[in-house]
Amino acid sequence: MIALGGNTLNRAPMEAVLELVRQGKQRLRLVKTAGGLDVDLLSLGGCLDSVDAGFISMETEFGLAQHYRRAVQAGMVKANEHACYTVISALRAGAYGIPFMPVRGLQVSDLRKVNDYFADVKDPFGGETLAAVRALKPDVAVIHVQKADSRGNALIEGPKYDDILMTRAAGRVILTAEEIVADNWFARNTAKADVPHFMVSHVVRARMGAFPGSCYGAYEPDEQMIRKYTALENGKQLRELIGEEERA
Amino acid sequence: MIRPCDMMAVCLARLIRNGETVFHGVSSHLPMIAVLLAKKLHAPDAVHLNIPGGVDPEEPELKAYTSAGGELWETACAALPLQEVFDLSMRGGLDVAFLSGVQFDQYGNVNASVIGDYRKPKVRLPGGAGSAVLIPTAKRAILWRTKHDPRTFTEKLDFVTAKGHVSDIVTPLCCFTMHNGELILKSVHPYSSLDEVAKATGFPIRYFSADTTPEPTAEEMRALREIDPRDLRNLEFR
Repeated sequence: MIALGGNTLNRAPMEAVLELVRQGKQRLRLVKTAGGLDVDLLSLGGCLDSVDAGFISMETEFGLAQHYRRAVQAGMVKANEHACYTVISALRAGAYGIPFMPVRGLQVSDLRKVNDYFADVKDPFGGETLAAVRALKPDVAVIHVQKADSRGNALIEGPKYDDILMTRAAGRVILTAEEIVADNWFARNTAKADVPHFMVSHVVRARMGAFPGSCYGAYEPDEQMIRKYTALENGKQLRELIGEEERA
Repeated sequence: MIRPCDMMAVCLARLIRNGETVFHGVSSHLPMIAVLLAKKLHAPDAVHLNIPGGVDPEEPELKAYTSAGGELWETACAALPLQEVFDLSMRGGLDVAFLSGVQFDQYGNVNASVIGDYRKPKVRLPGGAGSAVLIPTAKRAILWRTKHDPRTFTEKLDFVTAKGHVSDIVTPLCCFTMHNGELILKSVHPYSSLDEVAKATGFPIRYFSADTTPEPTAEEMRALREIDPRDLRNLEFR
């Protein structure tokens, strides 16, 4: 099970996502609050078994995640729809070391009825019935950050989305970083790392690692490249395209 | 000539009251612009909350590709990340949540999940994002949808992603409001008609007095153009 950082087209670990496609990874169970091109390309690449998420789309300008949509409709990928907050609550349960988290509101949704990762839970003190969401403990969280040192101390500039929680819930953390700073950088700056080194198993330097999505403070999305990806028809074309990109 | 996107932005803004805490999410340019418009005009103390977690961003330079990007963080006064906006709603502190969907019925139920069966869907939709927990817990859920036809406003939903505290639904043709658990017509936009709304709605429309929505004022239009010079409020209509 793998959790991906970022939100829709913002600071998603796209370089890592494309590497998963290149390596032909299969049957991944993906966790994300709101996914976009990352989930779409992993679907097209045949890498996914299931997606636990609240929302999968590239928002209004780039529209629906059609590769993901088709993969779900064809029965290739299981869509485990959450409310974004139930992904957060499930990750919190994972991070807190407890089996589930009570959530208010969800009881009235059909999502509560049709998904086995939701159940009813009674407040042992007051007696109220709430929905419960089962803990999510991803094996790996992959997060793209602006700055990391070689030991894995990492700083997210701008919106942090749910990335920090993912690093606490996951068994291992793989960072891709725009910039590798000196190992004494954090010691000498007032800004401290959001992710401490001992939680991190790997650090990979990946300049433009969120491309063709955006990375706060560094770059905006690349419209042409996104449209190239969304226009692809199958996984073979995707592997050809990312092969070309790698050579270029 | 009034454009539906301008009418909708103005209607959404008018529903925000001064001092309220207000949240919008992804794919939400119209409500994002409406929050900025309300804050510029009648609700300067409304609190703008969003996914990147930037509280009250000042004059953000809006982007076409997202309504959850760093521009809402850049000029904000405080950080309240999404997780904590949800927490705020759970404990009763969120006044308004702006949400959407693909199907709506006359009781304010919302489908944003699937057309057809949940496990074997004919169409897999993006999903309800925060709807399933925000619509029941926010004090008021204000919905918008840029499509108004009988398949969108329908008697029978394929799936109920969320229900609860829906207070209003704004469409390109009209404003609906909830009254005693039932969606009723509040006003018809000046360029539409009762007849057009009735034909575009898949359930019988009911109303007390279907007024004409007041046109966008010159002041509202001026403020809209300042907030949104790139006309992103029209993005869903392009």
